Amino acid sequence: MAFKLTRRNFLQSASLAAVALPLSDVIASETGIEASPFEPKGTVKDETVVGGVCEMCFWRCQLVGKKRGDRLVKLEGNPKSIDNGSSICARGNAGVQLLYDPDRLKYPLKNVGERGKPKWKRISWEEALDECGSKLKGIEEKYGPQGICMFPHGSSAKYPMHFFERTVGTHNVSEASFFQCRGIRDTAYVATIGMAPGEFVDMPNAKVIFLLGSHIGENIHVSHVKRYIKGLQNGAKLIVVDPRYSAAAAKSDIWVKIKPGTDTAFLLAIMNYMIANDKYNADFVEEYGDGFDEFKAGITDWTLEKAAKECEIPAEQIKEVAELLAASAPSVSIHPGRHVSWYGNDFQRQRALACLTGVLGAFFVKGGWVPAKNPKVGKMSWAKKDHGDEHNLNIDEEEELRFPFSPPGTPTELIRDTALSGKPYPIKGCVIWGQNPIQTIPGQEKMKDVLRQMDFVMCVDVMPTDITMWADILLPESSYLERYDLIKTGTQWDFADSQQQFIAPRIPLVEPMFERKDQVYITNEIAKRMGYAKDIPVNSNLEMVEKNLAEVGLSLDQIIKEGGIHVQKGENPYSMPEDFEVVFYNEDIEDAGFPGIPTYQPVEQPPKGFARLLYGRVPVHTFNRTQNNVWLNKAMPDNPVWINDEIAKTLGLQDGDVVGFINQDGIKSRTTTTIKTTPGIRKDSVYMAHGYGSANPLMSIGVNAGVDDTSLMSKITIDPETGAHGMRNNFIQLIKDDKILAIPASV
Amino acid sequence: MHKQSPAEHVATLYRFCAQSMQYPDITWFNDQYLDKLYLLVNTLGGDDQAKKLQDSFAGSRDKLEDIQVEHTRLFINGAPHVAAPPYGSVYIDKSLRGQYSDKVLHYYNTSGYRLKTGADLPDSLIHQLEFLSFLAKEKNRPKEEEFLSLFFLPWFPVFATRVKEEAQHPFYHTIISLIDFFTKEEEEYGV
Amino acid sequence: MQYGMIIDLERCVGCHACTIACKAEWEVPIEFNRNWVYRMGPSLVDQEMASTYYPGLCNHCQEPVCVEECPADTVEMTFTHAKTGETTSMEVAATWKDPFDGTVQIDKSRCIGCGACVDACPYNARYVNPDQIDDVSDDGKADKCTYCKPRVDAGQLPACVQTCITGARIFGDLDDPQSEVSKYVKKGAVGIDVIGGDLGPNSRYYGKKKDMALLMSTQTPELADLGLIRRRAMLASLVKPAMKKARGLGLLGLVGALAVKGLADDNSHE
Repeated sequence: MAFKLTRRNFLQSASLAAVALPLSDVIASETGIEASPFEPKGTVKDETVVGGVCEMCFWRCQLVGKKRGDRLVKLEGNPKSIDNGSSICARGNAGVQLLYDPDRLKYPLKNVGERGKPKWKRISWEEALDECGSKLKGIEEKYGPQGICMFPHGSSAKYPMHFFERTVGTHNVSEASFFQCRGIRDTAYVATIGMAPGEFVDMPNAKVIFLLGSHIGENIHVSHVKRYIKGLQNGAKLIVVDPRYSAAAAKSDIWVKIKPGTDTAFLLAIMNYMIANDKYNADFVEEYGDGFDEFKAGITDWTLEKAAKECEIPAEQIKEVAELLAASAPSVSIHPGRHVSWYGNDFQRQRALACLTGVLGAFFVKGGWVPAKNPKVGKMSWAKKDHGDEHNLNIDEEEELRFPFSPPGTPTELIRDTALSGKPYPIKGCVIWGQNPIQTIPGQEKMKDVLRQMDFVMCVDVMPTDITMWADILLPESSYLERYDLIKTGTQWDFADSQQQFIAPRIPLVEPMFERKDQVYITNEIAKRMGYAKDIPVNSNLEMVEKNLAEVGLSLDQIIKEGGIHVQKGENPYSMPEDFEVVFYNEDIEDAGFPGIPTYQPVEQPPKGFARLLYGRVPVHTFNRTQNNVWLNKAMPDNPVWINDEIAKTLGLQDGDVVGFINQDGIKSRTTTTIKTTPGIRKDSVYMAHGYGSANPLMSIGVNAGVDDTSLMSKITIDPETGAHGMRNNFIQLIKDDKILAIPASV
Repeated sequence: MHKQSPAEHVATLYRFCAQSMQYPDITWFNDQYLDKLYLLVNTLGGDDQAKKLQDSFAGSRDKLEDIQVEHTRLFINGAPHVAAPPYGSVYIDKSLRGQYSDKVLHYYNTSGYRLKTGADLPDSLIHQLEFLSFLAKEKNRPKEEEFLSLFFLPWFPVFATRVKEEAQHPFYHTIISLIDFFTKEEEEYGV
Repeated sequence: MQYGMIIDLERCVGCHACTIACKAEWEVPIEFNRNWVYRMGPSLVDQEMASTYYPGLCNHCQEPVCVEECPADTVEMTFTHAKTGETTSMEVAATWKDPFDGTVQIDKSRCIGCGACVDACPYNARYVNPDQIDDVSDDGKADKCTYCKPRVDAGQLPACVQTCITGARIFGDLDDPQSEVSKYVKKGAVGIDVIGGDLGPNSRYYGKKKDMALLMSTQTPELADLGLIRRRAMLASLVKPAMKKARGLGLLGLVGALAVKGLADDNSHE
């Protein structure tokens, strides 16, 4: 707009006074600055503050902050740490950019537009909390607590999750870390050794490290990588089983370029070979094994040749792997993996991995599977109450479990199907806390339909992720650098060193900016408005941490004095528990109607002209959470799609060509990415990194950078034992210059 | 009536601009405020702009909510994206609370001012305008010039362009034009 | 003493911790990097599959071509040994190789921002930082890795070395035969020397044979055309001092405008 008057003319006294005097009447607000009686401070010196616990991923390295005044300039590993030491990864280093991301949520917002196409209006906390409290209470009264479902993720979501699960009483909680990630692994190991396996492999002291799909290097957790590299430096041989020449394969001694989905066949053949040739750890099996004879008899079909054919790898290579493992037993690290929701046949594969560890006798021995003996701290939260199983969707009419080996919570698909059908009951309230179900769970359109039919949707997050566009009320949470929170515990990273334990509570490094609040405040305020004030277990995050520390005779004051981390004497991790056993053949699984011996189930193959879509990680991103971080984004701005170089050649594709995708259901990617041609991937598969292509325009850095692999996963595969998702059974063709390119079956 | 000096009038203009960038609230965003805004815009010869504003408000069901939604989208977390966070650091350092914000704070401090508890970030547009109003009251011309050239003008035009591009309602377009008018380099006096 | 850095590719997992830590430590503008990590492969090297990384940074060369090209006026500068306190003086332009620790450094106050050193560096290790503006240069200042000299002089490790999660970056004195870095050199760690030059890079790489082959075959640069750079630099050095331009010619703000109108004086107004 151009004003007709020039400033010179305006400043002539008459105009100026005529306008300015009346203006002074309508200035209501006070100024945010005032005259200061103090002398300037001069150059502010950098100060080191202790007590940070990272949450750029779930590994939770211990931090210190470098501050200039109240501004956090840099994060470093806490030199007192016996876990990550003074090292932190790229994401940890980039935490400052999350803290100060201009796109971060700042104030409570109310959607005065529609779900999915929001019009946000800043509102007060009072109004926001009243709205959440009354809407959720209304749903609870009308439909019962089961009418509320919850999608939590991250350390701040535990407290509200417990409120809705334990106090309000809904079973309908689905954690992505279970149902789209590691839940299958945990329940498969529980069914075999009675414990969830974590990533507890003693790699520094192993003779062989065996990775099935794990691509350490593209996937970074500091002390875990330290263990891995120490093992390799100490001379461990590395076996990597992956359809792709991953970062880990690049360091391997043996790369098994396996056909996707056939891993269980490969594992069974290794075990069958070792047993048949008397190369297994018979003493261990004798002492700790259960159902070994049934198991042994049940896998005799799996000759090297049969597996070689199924897995499309040389029989000789399977034998080589088996021989190397046998010769190095029991000091072998059979890595249990972490994200294992792959093909819908995953429970059996994870069972097979646990059995392989048993056949080698590699539990609780140097270099084998060895869980750390972590120190205990308090676990203050909402008290458990029995709400019965009447509304548990995982229990059918005959009072049988639908998914007998489901991880805790309710399988995502049961919640979504119930919400959509209204049967056996309506689900009309949705609380999303730190999770991004739109980019996490396959079936994006289905998720949107689920959200559309809700009476009320609320989201709590630090960033405006894709899911937040679907909220009615959107609440800004203080980040991990701004709140007291969980207590990280653990041991020194290398068991060969003298045994130590540590306790590191999360202590804020800076004050929250704008109107961000932490989980205890938000949950308690909603609880009060829903009539649960008397159940509130703690009044603040600070009180929660103090109480949890007090249970083991510690306090925040003391821990700050000790540099943010309390270190104490540890225990020998190699001692085996009294009742430890490895259940090779599991009768309970058989009784539940599934194979009691680890069994290979072939998976669906790509239709003609399609390739299987494989996905994985890059070291600078955590899932889809870090897309908008400007430093991380610049480090790896998009996710090039890996395609076999010979296939590329026949399609006329070259490095850097820009392509989009269409999947088997005709779903197209919204965005494009570039081609990376390489001999390091099988011809029947393409690969891209997950965590790109956000659709939310509020994410001004991340939006449309690369392709969102989840958007191409319209086919939903369910692992039958667990109810968790299989995410690698989607198939794609490439689109270049608006032309669909069919993938040739062979070249 | 208390007689005001031209310097105080100028301070008022800066304060009025700062006020107009606050989150809209019934305590100030009311008909009385809008009347004064029209007066100012009309005085400056922006009759068309004033008309446009009046028209858009005339057709509105809820004036305040319109401006709240617009403010949220433009400056906080609006759709289609957070168009123009009103903080200099975002444009200079590409981050909130970058080095620039420290330098601004230091400048306030060395000029004898400080941020109150609970204030917004030091480099917020509102505080920069408030600071300018204090300097105006002080009649501290060298400081005003220095602050504008060292701190304000390196980012404000970029911000203003973004607001003008992204604005869906004429209100913030008008406010930004006013701020621009009162702060820009006056070429007519150059050389 | 000659500081140097070893990057052990057997340990490196390509995680980028080093690049982001550097950004934070030195508040490097988003568009630029003092260090970087490129991933090469997977591709076939002598019929063998290989994939590795190029974690690059300033090589603090024995014969730094960048130093030669700086057209800024020279001054006599006194250098102090960080540990012994010993001093020595020499004539330097705005960038030099430190006589005590062998690092290549820049005097920001005298850099004219012409970019000659940036063009001369075959490794692309330098850039002109547009945030660093003063009366000498309104284009910015040459900027690059300093081997974290301020940290190192204070007894700390470079930021990238401290944060490296696998211990793949090793820093120390290459002239000290007992140092970790010297041991790596004995084991075969080598720098990436340029085609057509012998600069003696002091950032060195160690790794498996196939990975080193992949690194050298894809990342060995050529020496820049120094003639062209020199002509441009000479021009810049002639023009730059004249560019110290007076700022704020236009009158700014309202008080300034009032003053010109003679209105700032309270008494002149009724």
